[in-house]
Amino acid sequence: MPNLNKVAEKSAAEAVALIQTKLSSSSFAQTKPVAAVVLGSGVSVLDNLPDQVVLNFQDVFGMAPGVAGHSGTLTVGRLAEGDARTVAVLRGRFHLYEGYAWDAVTLAARTVVEWGLPNLLLTNAAGGLNQKYAVGDLMVLTGYRDHLSPKWKQESLIPAVQAKSETVSNTLTDKLIAAGQKLSQEDSQFRPLQAGVYAGLLGPSYETMAEIEMLRKLQADAVGMSTVPEILSCAGSKTMAAAVSVITNVWSDDVAMGGHEEVLEASKAASKRLDKLFRHVLSGL
Amino acid sequence: MKLRYARRLDFTGGISDFDQFEEFGQPVMDLLRSEGRSPLVIVVDTGYGFSGGNVQPHIVLDHLNLSGDNPLVGPNNPIGQRFPVVNDIYIAAADTVDQEETWSIGHPLGKLRNGVAAGVRQGQKLSEEELKTCHELGSHFYCYNLVPTMIVAAHAGLKVLGLVVPEGQPLDAKVLTAIAR
Repeated sequence: MPNLNKVAEKSAAEAVALIQTKLSSSSFAQTKPVAAVVLGSGVSVLDNLPDQVVLNFQDVFGMAPGVAGHSGTLTVGRLAEGDARTVAVLRGRFHLYEGYAWDAVTLAARTVVEWGLPNLLLTNAAGGLNQKYAVGDLMVLTGYRDHLSPKWKQESLIPAVQAKSETVSNTLTDKLIAAGQKLSQEDSQFRPLQAGVYAGLLGPSYETMAEIEMLRKLQADAVGMSTVPEILSCAGSKTMAAAVSVITNVWSDDVAMGGHEEVLEASKAASKRLDKLFRHVLSGL
Repeated sequence: MKLRYARRLDFTGGISDFDQFEEFGQPVMDLLRSEGRSPLVIVVDTGYGFSGGNVQPHIVLDHLNLSGDNPLVGPNNPIGQRFPVVNDIYIAAADTVDQEETWSIGHPLGKLRNGVAAGVRQGQKLSEEELKTCHELGSHFYCYNLVPTMIVAAHAGLKVLGLVVPEGQPLDAKVLTAIAR
């Protein structure tokens, strides 16, 4: 019988204490990062930060993600050479569909809150529902739908589909959108950002066509299996959360999606743009 | 849940059985393949809240999982992909007519209405308002066992012929014969 309720091994306060202990012998002992960034599978940005210190999730959280794609590391490094400001990059996350309980899925975000970091940038790979989207588009979340909270197991998903989308509205989100506009004006290679509503589903099976149509009726623009728990974890805290989806496919009626290589290429190009976008926003914090 | 016939899997169990499905799924698939037959699972479930007054047996063409849960949550069973694609899993009666190697579904099935199932939490009785929501979002009836069964079957690489029958309404003998064939 699989373990369907893997709870968090540590509290957020314990995780923060561990991070601070591990950083105490580095040049970052006295600094607090200006932001944390969570990278979803296939998203590769902010690589090789100057003076970076790499910690393992296992050491910090007492557990490591089981999904291929990200090893589960927390990297603290400088935004740029000689810059006093630092950023914390979390590669990998815990998902509900893996059987992790809510407190385990939200542990990293709650740790960021407990640590007192003012900004949390979340990323994910998502399926495009909006037919105006193209593979490789970046979508800033201006709203989300919670279709994955464990409470729906008790209540069924019907109240969730009856509810309106929640809005994501804060200055960090505004900064992402403004940075995207600026970068696309300056550089024709920088595809304009999309802005839309992300539907967070439990997974792990992908959506059926009927579910895709339902989500479109509910005016969701992209669909994935993460991010919503982290956004909810920051509610009411001093940590501002903003999120960007990398659109890895677009559901269309003829289901004629690009080949795997095309998707990989698009993801790679999207990661480059996302890196530019994040560096631009982080440098202004 | 029990295996009644090597060419077919019949599910008579409840949701608690799904964890066991994958344990015997692979040997059954191996058997089906060794016989040169496509793996197909027939799921017959009771349906409620039929839209448009169409209180009659339906062939399921697609579904909405509105249960708030998924039977594949947990470590992935290597019988299938971590993120299974569940589109194109339901078999329409028309799709099966010419597949002599697999199933020969006769006219009685072809005459059944087609519909989209909403899978809800076990035992949940939907209010009028909830039912209206389900219909507006694309489903024609709701049921309890079909959707989780289908997700597990899809994960194990099986195709599904889903039949949903109103409560207390027996399946027509001709349909049963067609299925048996």
